[in-house]
Amino acid sequence: MNIHSSAKQERSLIEKFLEENVLFLGPDPEIMNNHKLAPETAAETTALAKFTDADQMNLVRHKLQTACNESFDMVEQMGAAPGAKWGDLIAGVWTASGDLALSSMGGVLLFSVLTQHPVKFILKYWQKDPTVGLKEGDIFLHNDARYGNIHNTDQSLILPVFHEGKLVCFTGAMVHEGENGAIEPGGMPSKAESPYDEGLKMPPIKVGENYTFRKDIMTFLQNSVREPKLQLEGMKSKLYAAMRMKTRIEETIAEYGIDALSATLRRTLTDTADEVRRRLRTWPDGKVRQNVFPDGTLRENVLLRLRLEMEKRDDELILDFRGSSPEFTNRANNTVLASAKGMLAQEFLSFVWPDLPRNQAVFEPMTVLTDKNSALNCSPAAPNAQSMMTFFPSFTAAQLAAPKFVYSASEKATDVISGWYNMIVTFIYGGFNQHGELVGNVCADLNGMGGAARWNRDGEHSIAPIFAPMADIGEQELIEEEVPMMKIVPNRVMRDNQGFGKYRGGHGYQQIATMKDTSLWGFMACSIGSKFPSTHGIFGGYGAATYPLCKVTGVNVFEVMKDNRELLRYTVEEIMNEQPFKDAKYTTHHMGLQLEFANPGELYMLTQGSGGGYGDVLDRDPEMVAQDYRDKLVSMDVARDIYSVVLDATTGAVDPQGTAAARAAARKKRLQQGKPYAEFVAEWETEHPPEHLPFYGSWKDPKLIYRGSPTDTCSADAMVGVMMPDPKDVRIRQLESQLEQLTKG
Amino acid sequence: MRRVSVDIGGTFTDCFLAFDGKYVESKSLTTHNNLSSGFMDALGKACDEIGVPVAEVLEGVDAVRYATTLGTNALIERNGPKVGLVTTAGFESTVPLMRARGYGDGLGEAQQADLPAANRPAALVPMSNIVGIRERIDYKGDAILTVDEDDVRAQVRKLVDLGVQAFVVALVNAVVNPAHEKQVEQIILSEYPTHMLGSIPIVLSHRVAGRKGEYARATSSIIDAYLHDQMYHGMSTLEIALRRNGYKKPMLLVHNTSGMAQMNSTSSLQTIHSGPVAGLEATNYLSNAFKEPNLIATDMGGTSFDIGLVTADGTKFYDFNPIIDRWLVSTPMTYLHTLGAGGGSIARFDRMWNAIEVGPASAGSDPGPACYGRGGKLPTTTDANLVLGYLDEDNYAGGTIKLSKRRAERAIEEHICKPTGMSVIEAAKAIKRKVDSNMAAAIFKEVAVKGYNPKNFVILSYGGGGPLHACGYSAGIGVKRVLIPPFSSVFSALGAGNMDQLHIHETSVYMMLYDANTRAMLGDFSNFNEVVAQLEARGRDDLLRQGAKEEDIRTRLELDLRYGNQLAETGVVCPFSRIESDQDVITLLDIFSHNYAQRFGEGSQAPEAGVRINVIRVVSYLSHAQVDLKPSHAKGAGAPTPRAERICHFPSLAEGAVTAVYDYADLAEGTVINGPALIETPRTTYLVEPDWKLTVGNSGSAWLEMKS
Repeated sequence: MNIHSSAKQERSLIEKFLEENVLFLGPDPEIMNNHKLAPETAAETTALAKFTDADQMNLVRHKLQTACNESFDMVEQMGAAPGAKWGDLIAGVWTASGDLALSSMGGVLLFSVLTQHPVKFILKYWQKDPTVGLKEGDIFLHNDARYGNIHNTDQSLILPVFHEGKLVCFTGAMVHEGENGAIEPGGMPSKAESPYDEGLKMPPIKVGENYTFRKDIMTFLQNSVREPKLQLEGMKSKLYAAMRMKTRIEETIAEYGIDALSATLRRTLTDTADEVRRRLRTWPDGKVRQNVFPDGTLRENVLLRLRLEMEKRDDELILDFRGSSPEFTNRANNTVLASAKGMLAQEFLSFVWPDLPRNQAVFEPMTVLTDKNSALNCSPAAPNAQSMMTFFPSFTAAQLAAPKFVYSASEKATDVISGWYNMIVTFIYGGFNQHGELVGNVCADLNGMGGAARWNRDGEHSIAPIFAPMADIGEQELIEEEVPMMKIVPNRVMRDNQGFGKYRGGHGYQQIATMKDTSLWGFMACSIGSKFPSTHGIFGGYGAATYPLCKVTGVNVFEVMKDNRELLRYTVEEIMNEQPFKDAKYTTHHMGLQLEFANPGELYMLTQGSGGGYGDVLDRDPEMVAQDYRDKLVSMDVARDIYSVVLDATTGAVDPQGTAAARAAARKKRLQQGKPYAEFVAEWETEHPPEHLPFYGSWKDPKLIYRGSPTDTCSADAMVGVMMPDPKDVRIRQLESQLEQLTKG
Repeated sequence: MRRVSVDIGGTFTDCFLAFDGKYVESKSLTTHNNLSSGFMDALGKACDEIGVPVAEVLEGVDAVRYATTLGTNALIERNGPKVGLVTTAGFESTVPLMRARGYGDGLGEAQQADLPAANRPAALVPMSNIVGIRERIDYKGDAILTVDEDDVRAQVRKLVDLGVQAFVVALVNAVVNPAHEKQVEQIILSEYPTHMLGSIPIVLSHRVAGRKGEYARATSSIIDAYLHDQMYHGMSTLEIALRRNGYKKPMLLVHNTSGMAQMNSTSSLQTIHSGPVAGLEATNYLSNAFKEPNLIATDMGGTSFDIGLVTADGTKFYDFNPIIDRWLVSTPMTYLHTLGAGGGSIARFDRMWNAIEVGPASAGSDPGPACYGRGGKLPTTTDANLVLGYLDEDNYAGGTIKLSKRRAERAIEEHICKPTGMSVIEAAKAIKRKVDSNMAAAIFKEVAVKGYNPKNFVILSYGGGGPLHACGYSAGIGVKRVLIPPFSSVFSALGAGNMDQLHIHETSVYMMLYDANTRAMLGDFSNFNEVVAQLEARGRDDLLRQGAKEEDIRTRLELDLRYGNQLAETGVVCPFSRIESDQDVITLLDIFSHNYAQRFGEGSQAPEAGVRINVIRVVSYLSHAQVDLKPSHAKGAGAPTPRAERICHFPSLAEGAVTAVYDYADLAEGTVINGPALIETPRTTYLVEPDWKLTVGNSGSAWLEMKS
């Protein structure tokens, strides 16, 4: 034996030892970083050669699509979570290699790119593991976003489907279940400082066999969350929906044969990817840049930069987010890369090509570039329960960049739009309801995000969230019956809350909530955009406004209703400006509220944002401004100061001459204020971010990352996560300092 | 029995007359300017057929029953009055925002998915005509903020100044405690008394719908107010025309709940979609008369395909939140699923799948299929049927529409053959296969989702296009027998002739049959029984007001139950009218468990999460005598010589086949005809595909059966 072969043998032994002695199976980067389709299998190749008739394949596909929709309906009907009831779910079928080939028409589309990862984990690690295995009747459950999910509040249930002893596909469903035993109720804890504060952390695990849940595991799960009833109902609904889809697949095989199934699933994916490539070729080649600035971590006001360069080359689209903010290792606003890709896919599935099938191949021709350990590609050690605070803005960056390609593309699948409002402005709640049950979840009215302005018309008010069409904001009477929260104002369109433009964005609504008939009840809120707008307009249109969380404590509005009804007010602006309740405390905050127990009759107020505007305000038809005024959507001030439209104070009618003069004056003023670009740059550009601004991300050079101050930097290639002090400690230090000053003084 | 029943549709007014054992059908064109003209014309034709003057028939019939689409049309045309909405302060945007998802209600999946293009429909009540009043009732029914009369008067005055012609009062939690709505009504009446010329109609939401859900209840009430005037005038004109011709009894209007009532007990909302529902009621009747307990009703028209279900277990399928036009409402309606598939459905080549798609876009009747020659250039299902040889160019729709095969071929060549390289025949076959498959998939889902196996059903096929495609869509789901019903061309009118006088009253409740938190069963039965008694009293009052005898009134108690905090409510027909023992509670739990398992799968039940009664519903009805149709038992009649032969093409055959063409009028009962064959009637064509046979029944009926 020579020295070389001896060393080789030793290395081999070491590798074998390392392979056999893994402490635990964490998220697998090989699975998680790859959103492409699995290679075609031999069985698929054979099937594709045998089952070739496109029309027959279309019939099979239609059958499978109908099965996905049927399962979706079942989960929606049987589920107990508000998310399930109002459409925050998806049902689908995966190939035997784990690619999602078809999913329900309704529901949350970003799941469609994400759900491949847990299935591929099962295939890679459990299929051949003697202690787990993969056989007919097995039930797998998963929620940990680090293994492929939006966030840990979502639970996925996956069933393998076999035919004559061979694995042929998987069926399953994913639902936003809500409560998951985290440090705060409701499943989306903004207070989480580590993954261990985020509640259930399930990689894909086998929870049952023979289509039956294991009682011990069910008991464990029910004991791990605040809503054991919800956990049970959620799991049952997903299981029976997945079983129904399995039955439909078996019927399809019986009718058309196994090759028809394999060939159809594979071709559905490859045809989709080919179609996306074809459509991309109709876009002009080029590069577009778009920045967005999330303005907080939900615990403190900071400014993150998410930097996007979107480049289209032939039939490929590259979304380059390098140079964006570093991760926050003790804040919940980080995003797992796979989740970011899911959200970016949402832009293309819902807002660019809504006619495409719902499967992961839509994202196949895209490439996403990020820095490791950044806010959009966080490490497994970083919490991610509130990933929406970074991946929603990343979606917005893509949404604002895309029109610059699509506008001049030779074909369009839908309207070119501005920025949709992108934040989940609603309350998360926790406590005992009026029936004595411990509950924690999120209100469905987050679904009323303001619609973006279109190239030829206004946006719709509070119409849909960015992540799902046909989502519901629910009925207050039904919600009040189950939880002790009362919306004094549930969803009232707010005046002047408009993304101004030639075509305006749709308004968002305000809501005023309180509670009664309970011994313990707390509110949370989880949105950014209180200091810096979270979405913007395009081609001259304005963005959304900024919105605070407003609170009135030290009042019981139910007592006011009884004794001083004249003090009641029904808009946030009136309450906060007029402060009608004597001795009450009126405060404003950013919209990141950790669980705060409320007293009966205290008021918590939020405002859902508006969609961005499209085009120049001075080009807006004055009659449209007048109509908005009559509908109480804009004030006289906005008509005059923003749109330069002169309205009659009594009738609201347009004064054409006055308006023409006002607009001419506005244009003249713009010209006076204008300056050459070079002059503007010289005046505005700085080498570093300003000292007073806690800024995170690159400033000029995308390779140099700022970590909250002009002097604290790191390289994008060796990103160092940011640790934030506890806001309470910060506050204590401030108070101690003040106390010291007072004592000295 | 002497009875007239009429279904006024968008194009035709159908009449079914039962007179001393004779059953006659007739049709006239609907006269939209004055419905009574078409109505009397159709009735006149039927009377001519039995040789009895119209006046004598009207004087002698026990009832004139009437299903109408008048309300639907009024809604589409948006020619209702200016409605003002009075709601709870803070809830002014509830109706305009339509629960967010409302933009897509009433639209197809593709439009629902297209968010950038999403548009809400033009509002029935514009934002400026909505006012909030300061009052509040909580979920229990406690008034936590009382009504301020001055505030109400001020807000109402604002609406009057804006010119509103009808008020809707929809206050939060009014179904739990309607006191505030009633108080507002009194205040408005004091300002605008009914005996004065300036009176303004008032609709209170709790009287329109009994379910919780402020948005859907408000829209129900708005539609009710919006249609009221037009419906009232339309119906009154008809009633006057009938009286002038000798009819002396009250007219009965068909409701979308599968019942009917006199005008004084009918709200406009209840008449919407009543024609198709009457068709389903005719299916229900035939199920008994023909002893076919499991039937799937399929009605294929020019633009849509309606699917309904009649099952052996007698389950009544309701839609508790149906969508009317573009609005979600909360009045229970008999459930029918409508698919965008019909003769006018447009076929296209789908580049992505390299395959042919059909619908949901439709050429409708204007311009219509390319073969109509009215400007339509796109290929449709009807064009494919013509190319395949199923339709007679010169004898379509009784010869009223002349078809052009060349135009049909040209449209298919241009839009299907060019991109696919198929021949015209291959393309037409692919279109037929796809449209049949779409309908089959929709039927399958409708039946399977309710927990039934489609293979255990017989398909009932009616409507202009149904019998032409019935073999295709039935084979697609493994159904081997199809019944083309008697009087199929006036099938909804036949259904109207067999309905009971019926009223549904329901209310939302919060009652636990089993409380999982406290592990307690329902113990206090009095509250439950009291609610049932109140609902029974309301139904009884409705029927007594129409002249019913108290002893003839029957009731059926139905409960909507759910496990834990689910969305799904499963209807349970209660075998008793009062809960009197723990055994009764257990019985209800068992029935619920059985129904739920049937729908979602055995083992899916979750009683450990608790069982709640969400809604209590009482159906009060007065049974009416039914027409007496019996299935034909004739056998063995030989097939006559075909009227003609044509080469027809079928997806299952590679080459064209010589196909016999018969006139239905030439066929004796019991005649068996083997496919391929075509049987023509004045209004439709029955297609017998190669592996099928047809047996002629009576009164236009026929059985299609798969041979193997």
